[in-house]
Amino acid sequence: MNYYYKVIMKRILIPACIAATGMVAAMVYAGTDPVIVTPIGAGTGTSSFIQMNDAFTGDWQQYGQTFTNLQAGLFDQLFLVILTLIPAVFLLHYILIGAKHFDHEGEDVYFFSSTTRLIHWVAAVSFSLLVVTGLMIIFGKLLGGGTLIMGGRIVHIASALVFAVAAVFMFLIWLKDMLPMPYDIAWLFIMGGYLSKKKKPIPAGKFNAGQKMWFWLATVGGLVMAYTGWYLYTFQVTTDQLRILAIIHNFLGAAMIAMFLVHLYMSMFAIKGALTSMITGYKPREEVEILHSRYKI
Amino acid sequence: MGRMKFLCDVERCIDCSGCVVACKEGNQIPVGVNRRRVITINQGKPGEKSISVACMHCADAPCIAVCPVDAIYQRDDGIVLVSKETCIGCGYCFMACPFGAPQFPSGQVFGARGAMDKCTFCAGGPEENFSEKERKLYGQNRIAEGKVPLCAAMCATKSLLAGDADIVADVYRERVFKRGSGSNAWGWDKAYKKK
Repeated sequence: MNYYYKVIMKRILIPACIAATGMVAAMVYAGTDPVIVTPIGAGTGTSSFIQMNDAFTGDWQQYGQTFTNLQAGLFDQLFLVILTLIPAVFLLHYILIGAKHFDHEGEDVYFFSSTTRLIHWVAAVSFSLLVVTGLMIIFGKLLGGGTLIMGGRIVHIASALVFAVAAVFMFLIWLKDMLPMPYDIAWLFIMGGYLSKKKKPIPAGKFNAGQKMWFWLATVGGLVMAYTGWYLYTFQVTTDQLRILAIIHNFLGAAMIAMFLVHLYMSMFAIKGALTSMITGYKPREEVEILHSRYKI
Repeated sequence: MGRMKFLCDVERCIDCSGCVVACKEGNQIPVGVNRRRVITINQGKPGEKSISVACMHCADAPCIAVCPVDAIYQRDDGIVLVSKETCIGCGYCFMACPFGAPQFPSGQVFGARGAMDKCTFCAGGPEENFSEKERKLYGQNRIAEGKVPLCAAMCATKSLLAGDADIVADVYRERVFKRGSGSNAWGWDKAYKKK
């Protein structure tokens, strides 16, 4: 009896217990592994459709839709408003208040060195090309598209390379004079004195607050434009990132064109003969004393 | 007039990529451009599914909405086509498309993108039907010949359906009914749902 008991325990019960424990452990393990428990074809249609969508173009609902709505309904109108409203305001200013005249016959002050002027004009020509070709792409419909606008895109890329280099030098030569100063706030409050005809000394150093804003937008903003533009050219990022980059490129471009128009008006119309100082390097002493009163001659 | 639509039945697609080869060969598409692609999810795992996608020829196509030069247009039968001579290769259509359909060959200058290329539903382009220029720029014009697109014509499992929307929907509905399971066809809500 004792012998049979031992045999049954050894040959049957103990192995059976081990096997049962192993099976339970295997079932517990299998229950935690999604690959084993999911029967073939059990994934819902919806979940696999979502995975397929992700594999194509990311979350279209988030950035694709935003980009589509902005590009289809806002960007070209935004640029149109900038291109019409700003010149209209300046025309009104020119008629009502008029340009500032300074004595160009008297003593002159050497204001811009030849290196400065060279860097400025390289940046100016490449930036103007960027603005013109950029607007050509935005209003391509009106010009019929095709080879003309495609050529505009090529010029846009080429002049971006030139401007990117010039902007770095511009940043370095003017950084010290362009740092914000307390009197810049006073300049902003009186709008640089452009709303009155009086010739009172305006609080500004070598550059006024308006020029400083333009400087920071053109250099740091230019860097962002170069970064976003580079990826819009190479397309070496995800589709969702491309959409975000295109949105930034358009909004920042609008801001830069707005400031570009302001710069054009100020240098060519609002202050008579201001353009000459960037060609010859000399400014009339009276102009420096009034418009840049904090600048030590 | 009928409304042309694509439908890929994910329960039938076996990832053979025959549609991709047929499209590339039949339309003589340049290297680097894929008008049609097949992607597979959960490859080698339970729940593996494949789908073949080109341009869906959407009802309210976002590519048409964003194109800055109006190079993309929609025919009365719903087929969305691009005029390669108007396109400037800006890539906005690619950013707007939920299906990744627009493709860009590398251009001549600086390697900048050339004119956009995408599935034409084998309906050529804005040029004169069967003209040499149309064949060169856009490939075959099988719709004008009264045939379905190459990809759908050669699909071995008849997973990829193309043609008049009502007939395509009927075929699919019958399949779903016989299978007793399944759901709406992939992409149809996004491409054709009336807003």
